[in-house]
Amino acid sequence: MEIPYTVKPRPDTGLYNAKLGIWLFLASEVMLFGALFSSYVLLRVGAEPGTWSMGLMDLYVGAGNTMVLIASSMFVVLAWAELKQGNLAGYKKWKWATIACAVLFLCVKWGYEWPSKFAHYDVWLNDATVLHEKFQKGYHETASHGEDGDDAHGHGDAHGGDVEEHIEGIYTTRFFKERSKDSHDAFDVAWHNGTLALSGHINAYEEAQIDVRITGWKADAGVSEAEADKALAKFGEGDTAKLRRDGGLLLSGTDYDSAKRAEYALGQAGFTVALSVAGYVKVEAQPWMWRTKRVTEDIGGKPRVKSLYFGLDHSSHHQEITLDVGDIKRLSAYEPKHSTFFGIYYTITGLHAAHVFAGILIMLYNMLPIGLGLWHRDREQFTNRIETFGLFWHFVDLVWIFLFPILYIL
Amino acid sequence: MSDSHDSPDFINDLVRLFYMVGAVLVVGTIITFAIDLAFSLPLVWAAVIGLTIALVKASFVVAIFMHYKWDKKLIMITWTMVITFFFFAGMMGLIMWADGDAPNLDRIEMPARWVVLASLLGVALPASFTFLTVKMLSQPAPVEAAVPKPRRASKKRIN
Repeated sequence: MEIPYTVKPRPDTGLYNAKLGIWLFLASEVMLFGALFSSYVLLRVGAEPGTWSMGLMDLYVGAGNTMVLIASSMFVVLAWAELKQGNLAGYKKWKWATIACAVLFLCVKWGYEWPSKFAHYDVWLNDATVLHEKFQKGYHETASHGEDGDDAHGHGDAHGGDVEEHIEGIYTTRFFKERSKDSHDAFDVAWHNGTLALSGHINAYEEAQIDVRITGWKADAGVSEAEADKALAKFGEGDTAKLRRDGGLLLSGTDYDSAKRAEYALGQAGFTVALSVAGYVKVEAQPWMWRTKRVTEDIGGKPRVKSLYFGLDHSSHHQEITLDVGDIKRLSAYEPKHSTFFGIYYTITGLHAAHVFAGILIMLYNMLPIGLGLWHRDREQFTNRIETFGLFWHFVDLVWIFLFPILYIL
Repeated sequence: MSDSHDSPDFINDLVRLFYMVGAVLVVGTIITFAIDLAFSLPLVWAAVIGLTIALVKASFVVAIFMHYKWDKKLIMITWTMVITFFFFAGMMGLIMWADGDAPNLDRIEMPARWVVLASLLGVALPASFTFLTVKMLSQPAPVEAAVPKPRRASKKRIN
């Protein structure tokens, strides 16, 4: 079947069919993104002061990415103009430039902006006044090598009584664009009712070393003695038969994953297993997307993670404080689950980035021999195909034109 | 873009225009950026200024990059977008209305029949739009060229 009106406009609509099709598709896209925009603006306007991550968005990165998309939008229309003049080489040149811009945009978005958020945390404490002690200790530990002066948001040094003021500085920079009466009131409320969020990185943590003990074996579990011993042997040398009969220490000071794996496998083999914490070791690593449940998980009456070495954001010297897990009410990385803001932030930017990604695939198709075949069969139809793609691509650019002020400025 | 605009000269003008629009977009972004850095505006003003600049940028993209300037006499595109706009405005309105549901706001209760009416409109608009489009396109095109009528031009002549 031949598709009609791929080149000549249909008399009654005045358009070739693909163009009408793409405009209808864009209309549906307007509704899709429109709903999300409306929701964002509504949530933003309805948010209490101090709950929207105003200070978080990096304006420079946002503006840079806007420029990249604008450039790509120009290149794609120039590619089409080259085709109109019958210049395939020119088309290819601009098209590669467009693809390069799109890839750069996604690299910034998915390679930098998102991942840096996944390693970023907010901590809510049961009682913020413990910070008086922790903060001073942390300050003295790091002040000696923090000579790089105050960063852009420096609020001076914290000594004794002005700990609260220092933390207010950190809090303000995270949730407000600048210090104001609103920000001060919001901080007061947060400090006193336990909703204060401290932002920073986990630089290191003390993780449990776990002992795995055999406490019994059920002969009636349907597993033969030989099989049970075989299961035991996988986890260590020694007298497996004796371990099975009398119980005893199987693994000592092992890590969490190994301990859990042993617990599961031995449970399948009819053993009852007890885990207990032998001690804690400090691990120097910046973990991604940890949550409260993970650090407070109970292992024989003790938490899986004892304390976090928390490097505070926006503070002079980026000082590090040690937080006991027992003091933590909630720990959350900047992931969608963190808050309403991050929920809708990832939804909107993710949907937009998915459009960019789809655009890259379509552009690559139109650059490969299989896509260029149409050029050799029917130049006008190919030119129209590139025009309709251009319409889609400009729409993606349009969405970002609105996303930029909404996300980064509002 | 319609066929009357395929001459090489026109394409050359067009390319020059594309560069100018590119410059406008870049300048718009820089202005937005600079305003945010230089002033600390209250939320409402940040929204008004930020979105106004975005709207100007968007208009240029639609008019020039998306050729709407030359296609607007093609009623199908305008029709599509106008109906989309009403749908969007209605949707936004419904969302704002729902926001008034908070108990601390002295909201006048919305009569149930309004909700029903709004929902019906929400379904009827896109449904009728889809129906008309499908019906129109499923018919064979008229043999005689029903080229879009130059309504505006004729009016001008009368005036």
